[in-house]
Amino acid sequence: MDTVTGTLSAPVLSKPVKPVNRKWKHLRENAPFLLMILPAVVVVFLFCYLPIYGVLIAFQDFMPGDPILSKDTIWVGFENFSRFFNDPQFWPLMKNTFLICIFGFVIGFPLPIIISLTLNALKSKKVGKTLQTIFTAPHFISLVVLVGMLSLFFGSGGLLASIARHFGGEYESLFLKDSAFRPLYILSSNWQDFGWSAVIYIAALSNVDPQQHEAAILDGATRFQRVIHVDLPAIMPMISVMLIMSIGGLMGVGYEKALLMQTDANLSVSELVSTYVYKRGLTGVPDQAYASAIGLFNSVINVVLLIIANTTSKKFSENSLW
Amino acid sequence: MEKALQPKKRKNAMRDTLGDKVFYTINGIFLGLVALIVLYPLYFIVIASISNTDAVLAGEVVLLPKDITLDGYAKILEHKEIWNGYLNTLIYTGLTVVLSLLVTIPAGWALSRKTLPGKKWFMIFFIIPMFFGGGLIPFYNVMSSLGLVNTIWAIILPSILSVWNLFMSKTFFESSIPNGLIEAAKIDGAGQWRIFASVVIPLSKAVIAVMALYYAVGQWNSYFNAMIFLQDESKYPLQLVLKEILIASESTVGGSGETMLEQFRLANQLKYVSVIASSLPVLCLYPFVQKYFAQGVMIGSLKE
Amino acid sequence: MKKLISLLLVLVILLSMTACGGGGGSSKPAESSDVDKLVSEYGFQWTDPSKPILNDKGAQELSFNVYSSKNASAKDYNDMKIMQDLYESTNVFVNWENVSESIYSQQKNLIFGNKDQRPDAIYHAGMGAGEILKYAKRKVLVPISDYLDYMPNFKKLLEERPDIKAQIVNVEDGKIYSLPRIEEMGLLQNPNILFLNKAWTQAAIDAGTLTGVTADDLKDGLALKYDQMEALLTYWRDNDMNGNGKADDERPLSFVYNNWQGNQCDLYGMFGINDNLEHRIIVDGKVTYTVQDPRFKEATNFIADWVSKGLIDKASFDQSQDVFLANGKGTEKYGAFYWWESETVVSNPENYITCAPLIGPDGSQTVCISNNPEVGAGEVVIFSECQNVEVLLAYFDRYYDPVISAQINYGPIGIVYEEERDEKGMLVQKPLPEGLTADELRLQNAPLGIIYLGDYAWNNVVNMEPRAKLRLDRLTAYVTPYMPANVKQCLTMPFTSDELNVIANLETNLNDHIRTNLIKWILKGGVTDAEWDTFQKELTGKCKIDDLAKVYQDAYDRFQSGK
Repeated sequence: MDTVTGTLSAPVLSKPVKPVNRKWKHLRENAPFLLMILPAVVVVFLFCYLPIYGVLIAFQDFMPGDPILSKDTIWVGFENFSRFFNDPQFWPLMKNTFLICIFGFVIGFPLPIIISLTLNALKSKKVGKTLQTIFTAPHFISLVVLVGMLSLFFGSGGLLASIARHFGGEYESLFLKDSAFRPLYILSSNWQDFGWSAVIYIAALSNVDPQQHEAAILDGATRFQRVIHVDLPAIMPMISVMLIMSIGGLMGVGYEKALLMQTDANLSVSELVSTYVYKRGLTGVPDQAYASAIGLFNSVINVVLLIIANTTSKKFSENSLW
Repeated sequence: MEKALQPKKRKNAMRDTLGDKVFYTINGIFLGLVALIVLYPLYFIVIASISNTDAVLAGEVVLLPKDITLDGYAKILEHKEIWNGYLNTLIYTGLTVVLSLLVTIPAGWALSRKTLPGKKWFMIFFIIPMFFGGGLIPFYNVMSSLGLVNTIWAIILPSILSVWNLFMSKTFFESSIPNGLIEAAKIDGAGQWRIFASVVIPLSKAVIAVMALYYAVGQWNSYFNAMIFLQDESKYPLQLVLKEILIASESTVGGSGETMLEQFRLANQLKYVSVIASSLPVLCLYPFVQKYFAQGVMIGSLKE
Repeated sequence: MKKLISLLLVLVILLSMTACGGGGGSSKPAESSDVDKLVSEYGFQWTDPSKPILNDKGAQELSFNVYSSKNASAKDYNDMKIMQDLYESTNVFVNWENVSESIYSQQKNLIFGNKDQRPDAIYHAGMGAGEILKYAKRKVLVPISDYLDYMPNFKKLLEERPDIKAQIVNVEDGKIYSLPRIEEMGLLQNPNILFLNKAWTQAAIDAGTLTGVTADDLKDGLALKYDQMEALLTYWRDNDMNGNGKADDERPLSFVYNNWQGNQCDLYGMFGINDNLEHRIIVDGKVTYTVQDPRFKEATNFIADWVSKGLIDKASFDQSQDVFLANGKGTEKYGAFYWWESETVVSNPENYITCAPLIGPDGSQTVCISNNPEVGAGEVVIFSECQNVEVLLAYFDRYYDPVISAQINYGPIGIVYEEERDEKGMLVQKPLPEGLTADELRLQNAPLGIIYLGDYAWNNVVNMEPRAKLRLDRLTAYVTPYMPANVKQCLTMPFTSDELNVIANLETNLNDHIRTNLIKWILKGGVTDAEWDTFQKELTGKCKIDDLAKVYQDAYDRFQSGK
């Protein structure tokens, strides 16, 4: 599309305007943006904000069907929270959950970035594209199948066991070793997601101006240097945003995978907040309010982390969420 | 101009090759290893889906399928609902992609503009639901009040805006659309809508493609909302149909233990087949999306 | 700008509150139905189980919506013959809404949460004791016990079986809020049977490794001593028994650790302990935790010893039951295993004999006594908004008639059973149609659910499934005789909500603690005395095992006195 063409239209001769008029003019000029953002606001409002009153359940003695905001609601204040904090398992659960989240993040966050950079640096674009497709495939494997495969490969009767036996050695099932739980959990999650998460970085890299690369080549940069000085800065804004958002979602880990991978032997590390709450719901009394309180607690932690991450990012770079 | 450049380029090209050879080799080996780690389990799923279930469970299937049988596929195809499921999922995915692009891309563009009135508040508005949610019961009640239960909109509408995707688009727009172009268009007298339609969109093929892909796959893989909102089995999407066929492992209505075991066996038989059934279509489409990640989308547009 | 935002926020909160209007307000219980009107207009009768409950007018005008999860292979309940038969014989129209089980588990809370659109009843409700307690308090469920007069079968059942009544009564108000499922086959108490590879054992005898046993002894009922078993397992470990050239693929002893059946608990029987998955049992009327018994320590060390010697296949500890079953097929790998039958485990069951329990070093010979109950409470619940609940209850009451129960559980007369009974008056199974197994036919046509199949039914109405019968025979011959008379199941009795809170707070922790330690000891060569003492202190200390025991004891005492 042609950009700078044609004649410049005559500059608008504006009379000295009152501040109010200028504000209105500004608004009118940018009003289309408000219109553009409106549908998104409506969707989020309807489906996220309207149900938000549900957080109040955390402060009630609640069974499904109870009114949440009426004179009949049974309020218990912070009782659900204190029950959780006073549980002898509280610290072990928090520790297990936190460790899984933080290690998962430390390994899982850079991986898609590295992959996107290396794929982009391949000489053959065709190979790069094929590899891209292959790398995204694990994303589609359902959880049950993934854990099934893990136990087939790493369990007592599996692949590694046969290989070890072949060489005359003993093989201890990784599912029976508590030190193996976290690596197995985290690495398999990373294996599943890295290709998919890399897509956004690959897309961002594809938008890099090739002239920048040419300039770098002229300057005598090696391919590796080009990666560091051209590619990486190009996706840095995306990295920052993803970093901040990931930190904000750090403590959220569901119960399904850990529950599927749990054995008696790894209980001490595989019992997370989410699995514990799930199991408690199965024995005794199912307690929505308790689960809701814990969810709220998690959310608060995540918000704090997010604010820290955003503020730090603002200090050290130009990129931040707000 | 070019003639003068060539000898210099060639000299640089030669020098590059030496240090770069190492880089390319290491890069290649690294990616090759990663490819193997990814490929083997994928390959395993394929051969497991055509092998005898007992052999698979006993760990006898390693490099080659054992007792090749197409039983699993036959059993899945026996369930005619699966074709209906495919059709439904295609419709839901298509609708989701179209609507989500209409909602997300303009919003992402607006959020990326410094002059958006109340920008900070909008950001906070979108961030809060990422952390705080009311839970399933209030969500269900809201959907019920909106009259969406047992309609396809119950599974489409909540999915058309993902805050992650929104922020990704915003970042994309902030860093990939040069201000020079916008300024130039403004000087030309174009209004914001004009700018958006004629300048931004053509340059955003990559981000639109990624958003379309993310939303499409998100919808393709989802089953939870369908599970709780759809009562008509004829409206079930593919993933739900597959899940039903696979049968939940906690069978409370199984009667005797013998029958429960039978159902476990069946589930095992179909596990791997269902992965292939559900992922193959999407994987085949991915190369089409990749076309939009073409390099040099910007070539020729910023010659000043 | 700021003002605008704050205004918007207030608006949001206000709107959000009105959106929950669906949840607010109290639900109206159904107006107490006018039974007289039902009798006069619709011919409502409930005393004669052979006659319809309603007249034709009632059949046309009254209907009930029942929500039910169903097995994936089952037909829609509306299409099932038994339901149609029931409609014809009772004139009560029930409109079934079926979903799959996985959907139901998510939907349950939503159904309860959505006051305005509840069905009349939930079938296969899977209600836990705690749930029923809480909902009863909120008057969400109908107290069925108030309507017993309209339910002759169920009323009779409760009078004849106070032990069943004690298991389903709501402790806090003495009422019954759910209909139970009762299937008494005598199979659930003992989940394990030991099977032995006959040919492999013979080989061990021939090799002189196994002494004290002759070829003639190799039949069902063989009782091996612990040292004999150890020699046998060692022999199998070291030799290529299945003739494939590899001496290391034989699995001497296998089970599925902590599985609901086919588990390791029978091994503790060698030391006189009736262990089970909860490690909780009733001995002489007292709630006892097996892990507090010193013999448990010896048993653990003994088992750990076998594990370290490779006599117990280590895969037993992390394989799922599917893998366990899969490994039995094809090349013969199992020497001995615990399961409830051999036919599903190995491809050549004729080569395996059923054994009596192993005899331990001090002569103890007993088995696992599980806490699996034969009475499933919480199978059906009725919402208090249901109109004409007397009719619905009278209808469900029919399910407890043995002939109907048999059809609900196995399939209807005409598809699964012949019209004609045999000379004893029992139902006779029809030959299977082409291409269907007995299980498949059953699942397709039997809704399962609220039934009462006890001794009377098995002796007079319907035969057990052949496989179930086989298992019962084996258990009666080789397992149940070894159960001590003073040890009983510790079933889940009805609890008060305080007791349930104690359980909720303590039980998961206790189980986690026990399990983590047990597996460690079994796999790592055993437990030292010091470790055992620490463990005991932790049980009574941080795990508060005594508080838990007290809760169960109180419930058990209540149960006993209620009988």
